[in-house]
Amino acid sequence: MIALILYLGVGLGLFVLLYFLARRSHAPVEGSAHQFVEARSSLQTLEQGLLPRDMIARIFDRQDLQYVTTKVPAEIRGLFLAERKRISLSWVRRVRQEVVNLMHFHRAHSRFYVQLSLPTEIRLAFDFAGLLLACRLLEAIFYLRGPYAAPRMVNLTASAAMRLCVESEKSLAFLNAANIDQFRNKTTPGGAVV
Amino acid sequence: MLAVADDVRRRTLAHLPSALGRMIYLASTRDYNNGLYYHQGLASRYSEAAACEALADCHRESFHELLGTSLEDLVQQLQAYAESSGAITTNFVAAWKELAPYRVAVPVGTDPLAADFVFSNLKVALAIFETRLNPRWPASPE
Repeated sequence: MIALILYLGVGLGLFVLLYFLARRSHAPVEGSAHQFVEARSSLQTLEQGLLPRDMIARIFDRQDLQYVTTKVPAEIRGLFLAERKRISLSWVRRVRQEVVNLMHFHRAHSRFYVQLSLPTEIRLAFDFAGLLLACRLLEAIFYLRGPYAAPRMVNLTASAAMRLCVESEKSLAFLNAANIDQFRNKTTPGGAVV
Repeated sequence: MLAVADDVRRRTLAHLPSALGRMIYLASTRDYNNGLYYHQGLASRYSEAAACEALADCHRESFHELLGTSLEDLVQQLQAYAESSGAITTNFVAAWKELAPYRVAVPVGTDPLAADFVFSNLKVALAIFETRLNPRWPASPE
């Protein structure tokens, strides 16, 4: 009986291993442009869509809250708060998702293209971890106490995300058209010329 | 291109005082089948391509203006727009609640969160506007 359980356990373990290996096959081919495009797109979304100061100021604007609190019937106040809660949750979830994309890019690819010192890598790892934790905390706060509960934390999180964007910009700088000139007329072992 | 966009602002959009009105108008100049903007007068003065680009620019501009508009201002803009539309106000509110026409009025390439934020504000503004038409609620102290 014990031998049977053991065999079943091993079989199950192998099945789980097979499942994870099969999932890995969906990962893009090493050296493909997919990660770069995704990282560039995440950076653009963060810098232009989610982190601009005026956008954050509008989402968490207390002037609107003041208006609905003083001049609008209570039923509408409930609708307003529910809508802002939905928007603020959507904002923090998207920031988190884009930061996760950038972190994956850093972990898997950027070190092959940019010389990062060990202290820089450690600092980046802490920055990413701290930011993801802050996003989770904000999500919980918005969910439990509404979008106006932690204005200072919103600003701190946005500033930290912006700093990481600047770091990531450096990692992706080699993709900028202006930097392509340094490769011009250089040939690869396969004979490709820029 | 700048001259064309300036022309649009000076001649056409000058008659539309609110960002909401401008965004709805500019969206109406866009062909939903191909996403291109068309304005006969502008196309004959400049070219179709220049007119299209200028209208797209002004559309993005009016959307960003609307994004930055406070809820209180948005309610006023919505009220003014409803009055200028010529529709019976209660019908206007019913149609906007049912059809949400503003959902197809955002420029192409708008960040989904920004679009969602504007839709959300318009939904709340519409609800506030509706309460003002309803005698159940007293008018808000201005």
